[in-house]
Amino acid sequence: MNATPPTLPPRGQWPRLLLAVPAASVRALAEQLTHTLQVEDLHLPQSGLGLLSLRDSALNDTYFPGEIPVSRAHVRVTAGSGIPVEGAAQLLDDRASLARAIAVIDAVLAGQLPGFAQVLPLLQAGQARLDADKRVRQALLSTTRVDFSLIGTEQDDDND
Amino acid sequence: MGYVAIKGGGRAIQGADAALDALRTREGEQGTPLSLDTIENQLRLLTSRVISEGGLYHPRLAALAIKQMQGDTLEAAFALRAYRSTKPRLLQTPVQNTANMRLIRRISSAFKDIPGGQMLGPTPDYALRLMRMDLADESPEAFRSMAQRFLDDVPASDLPDSFPKVVDALRAEGLLPALENTTQEAFDITREPLVFPVPRSAALATMARAETGSLLAIAYSNMRGYGDVHPTIAELRVGYLPVMLPHPVTGEPVEAGEVLMTECEVVAMYENEDGSGTPTFTLGYGACFGHNEVKAISMAILDRALQKGMRDGPGNPSEDPEFVLLHVDGVDSMGFASHYKMPHYVTFQSDMDRLRTTQQKQAQSEPSTPGDCA
Repeated sequence: MNATPPTLPPRGQWPRLLLAVPAASVRALAEQLTHTLQVEDLHLPQSGLGLLSLRDSALNDTYFPGEIPVSRAHVRVTAGSGIPVEGAAQLLDDRASLARAIAVIDAVLAGQLPGFAQVLPLLQAGQARLDADKRVRQALLSTTRVDFSLIGTEQDDDND
Repeated sequence: MGYVAIKGGGRAIQGADAALDALRTREGEQGTPLSLDTIENQLRLLTSRVISEGGLYHPRLAALAIKQMQGDTLEAAFALRAYRSTKPRLLQTPVQNTANMRLIRRISSAFKDIPGGQMLGPTPDYALRLMRMDLADESPEAFRSMAQRFLDDVPASDLPDSFPKVVDALRAEGLLPALENTTQEAFDITREPLVFPVPRSAALATMARAETGSLLAIAYSNMRGYGDVHPTIAELRVGYLPVMLPHPVTGEPVEAGEVLMTECEVVAMYENEDGSGTPTFTLGYGACFGHNEVKAISMAILDRALQKGMRDGPGNPSEDPEFVLLHVDGVDSMGFASHYKMPHYVTFQSDMDRLRTTQQKQAQSEPSTPGDCA
């Protein structure tokens, strides 16, 4: 029986999935991909801060609760004499090298460039890690859900 | 105040650094250095506090600051702020919606049946404050198996990641004022000084990175009677906020990461002082980085108190924006207290000279007593 080939998640999820796996794996794969691809930096990779903007739920005012680490990169990737594909990443992470690696992978996935298939297992590993985190969070909620109907019954019993 | 440059302290200062490290490592060969992962996970509430008071969501660096400052939260927050001041600001995020928070805890003291239900999550609220002696001699094996055992005992769940907000339900029932669309640009306290009066966004930002104890102390004054907020917690939520940034190529929103936050809305006394319109409850709002419940509640109470003070003039300290906002920052207040440890030799010399002169003048002006005559 043939295994079903993994489907590609939407582009908007790629950074989250890649951030969920060890950064060394992402960097190593991006490095490996660049052996057969031409990568040009459209903007130099940067790391710094982002000002987080929220809206309060009492009066609908916008305010800044603080800052977050941000890194970003924007590249153009070309395979042989093919059409160049742009890839980019903006991460809540202060490692510019990781942002560049994810930007390269973003281009490879978006253009289905050579090496595309090697990225899919990494995305799957990221999804598995996120699923595990989700399971923990759901366990924190489900094991502590308050059943007020039971409390009501016991109080009634006490009142009797 | 005056200061005087002194020399000769360099060796002493180097010695002080070494002395600090000597105490940190005094367990000697039996000791194990604290890993940042250990601090971040096992001292997660301490890490949360430093993230929040440092104003930078960087749990790993907060853990490092805690290690470096040997557990001093004020100094750790100071280190985090110093770090952030060395980094360029690359962007301001689009406005994020906290209704999308992936919750690990949500409670309400206003209603028992809130939409989606109440889930206590990780909290010591209902635990007896008795010492758990078993933790004093915890075996690594037991420690390592605990989290897995917790998961093994939990059946699969299909709970959603996020839940509707209680205040939205109250608003739908007409018990809260309708939300107005505000277009005012938020105040950036890291770039602009607080010159009063300040907009509410400046107050929220200042309190979000305030020192927890300072915020609590002033909110407590309101709770005890120097104020009349009389809050009820509509909802207290702890969870991870997905931060969405536009993809640089497609412009589509992409999740860049997530931020652990605590958020609280308190319902306060209803108002209809001018008699126009329908009377509704008033609201206070608090939110900050990390898992910091007392801070978020204190902030929500003070937000409501400050709204009243900004509108009607302060009736007590907790309603006075200048009093509250200029005294809750831990790095500011710790810095001022600590600066008294710096040499004040010139000013104190001057104080002594003045005192001696005053004493001499007083002695000269006093009439001599008869017994003094030989």
